[in-house]
Amino acid sequence: MELLVSILALGSTYALLAAGIVIIYKASHVVNFAHGELAIVGAYVFHSAGFLSSATLSGTSVLVAGIIAAGGSALFGVAIYFALMRRLLGRPTFVAAMVTIGLAIILKAAIVVVWKSRSVGIPLGRHALRNFAGGGRVTWIELVSIVTCIAVFAALAAFFKYTRLGRQFRGAAENPLLAAQRQVNINLILALAWALAVFSAALAGVLFGSRSMLSPQSTVIGLSGLTAALVGGLDSLRGAAAGGLLVAAATYLTARLISPTLSEAVPFLILLGVMWWRPWGLFGTVEELDRV
Amino acid sequence: MRFSPMASSPYLIVSYAQTNRILPEPYQRVIVAILAVALVCIPLFSGDYFVHLLNLCLIAVIGAVGLNLLTGYCGQLSLGHASFMAIGAFATAILAQRYGLHFIVVIPASCCAGAAVGLAVGLPALRFRGIYLAITTLATHYAIIYVLTNYEAILGPSASAGITIPPLSLADHALTTERGWFYALLVVDAAVVMLGLNLARSHVGRAWVAIRDRDIAAEACGIDVPRYKLLAFTISATLAALAGSLGAYFTTVVTVEEYTLELAIIYLAMIIVGGMGSVTGSVLGAVSITLLPYGVERIFAALPWSLGTVTFGVQEATIGAAIIGFLLFEPDGLIEIYRRTATYFERWPFRYREIKASGAR
Repeated sequence: MELLVSILALGSTYALLAAGIVIIYKASHVVNFAHGELAIVGAYVFHSAGFLSSATLSGTSVLVAGIIAAGGSALFGVAIYFALMRRLLGRPTFVAAMVTIGLAIILKAAIVVVWKSRSVGIPLGRHALRNFAGGGRVTWIELVSIVTCIAVFAALAAFFKYTRLGRQFRGAAENPLLAAQRQVNINLILALAWALAVFSAALAGVLFGSRSMLSPQSTVIGLSGLTAALVGGLDSLRGAAAGGLLVAAATYLTARLISPTLSEAVPFLILLGVMWWRPWGLFGTVEELDRV
Repeated sequence: MRFSPMASSPYLIVSYAQTNRILPEPYQRVIVAILAVALVCIPLFSGDYFVHLLNLCLIAVIGAVGLNLLTGYCGQLSLGHASFMAIGAFATAILAQRYGLHFIVVIPASCCAGAAVGLAVGLPALRFRGIYLAITTLATHYAIIYVLTNYEAILGPSASAGITIPPLSLADHALTTERGWFYALLVVDAAVVMLGLNLARSHVGRAWVAIRDRDIAAEACGIDVPRYKLLAFTISATLAALAGSLGAYFTTVVTVEEYTLELAIIYLAMIIVGGMGSVTGSVLGAVSITLLPYGVERIFAALPWSLGTVTFGVQEATIGAAIIGFLLFEPDGLIEIYRRTATYFERWPFRYREIKASGAR
């Protein structure tokens, strides 16, 4: 039971990260290599903002930190689009991907410069919800992670399906030129995609930081998120959820049953397997793929 | 015809051999000659630390030329270059430390190991292009590093302590001084740069550029696309393994921690900053990106207040900023700045600029 909850909690973090990568890929066909860095920086901002307003985390300081982190991450996403990605429209998409690699380096360096690479944890909901015989336990934050993830995915699905902007988003993703001719504001859509993606990354980062420690090394979760997105299919939100759970389960079970060092390589072994067997992912569209 | 003023114009190209010259202009030959003399003389007048930095640059040049042949010419984005270097370094460590072989055997053997791995990693390139290939090479990077991490634990005295290897020696003369290394590396670099230039201007380089620009069109022109792609991966990985092997001998200790994804990205930064699809550009990029952190350190040391660990972060950040800045504002890199300047003076007082015809150097 507690194993299942741990897997679900880790899986929900990966799924949130994968959702952000999928949103950006759908909108602009850019693979974001800076996603883990965005998540961890978001979590650091949340941590600092929470302790800025009071010495210990209370209800109001969490609220303040939440507002600052959410608003800040969304604004940062918009800023990334207008400062960097907009200038790269019309250039090959791997150039934009390389720019996100540069962004990743800068963000990781920012953790070193601003937070002096301190390793911090967000003390939120660490206490046990239920203890099991034999030392196992389920914490509040694990439950919160799972519920948040489900809520975000439901909200995203509803947004894409039922709202006008969501329909415009899907249209722009399918054919930007035609969409633009039908008066869809492409700049708005792409900026929105980045805002949503960076917001969901920060959310994933905060949830991750509440369950374990944050450090510059934890930015590696971005690669797990990327793997989850690829396993599920780079253009499928459903796939992001499935991929996140699959990667989390495989990583967690390997760490438990075989060896912790192997578990670090497991996401990439899964990735190689998927690339070999179904390069478009479990739920991805076949035509989408840039294949030879 | 022979005596017409046109034929004697330095700009008039009348044969294929002329289009293929590496240094078409007389002033370029003068620059290269001055540079060669300067490089030979530098160690005689400078301190060990500076020569040490130059040695790091020279090792980086080998890897950067290799990566540029693959990514810049053939257009195959690779994030696995650090793992190729790790293969070279570990092959060297195993052969030199465990079997005590001579470097004349070790270095070629390490290169062969790199070539074999490069060939294997290149196989997915037959199925994917662009970003999917980059992600596949990223995954293989982690797989290779995982294997080597385990191997290091077996081979070294203890896990993560690294493997110490004996210094490079020829007939009882151990190569331990920075100056000695400098001249040795200079010879290797000259060979690698010549190899790169000759590949780039021969049919191999033209096939690679055709594949980069449009692989379907290249195939329609009769180019064996899979063969040339795998050739690019093999040659690139061989050069990376050579850099890794020489780097291992140079530092005399091999640890797997050295070969992170960051290293692969730093090599990518070198060719972006220097110039994609230019051998000279890779040299420029390798030198500037290698020296960049030390330059930042110098500037920070000159500041009146102490910054402590911040320096490390800023060093990293400048590399990221260099990648973004060059991709946004100077996508063809430092070599393009040189080309613009050179063309301005060559054509002066005219503004005419030739269409980027060969652009291969």
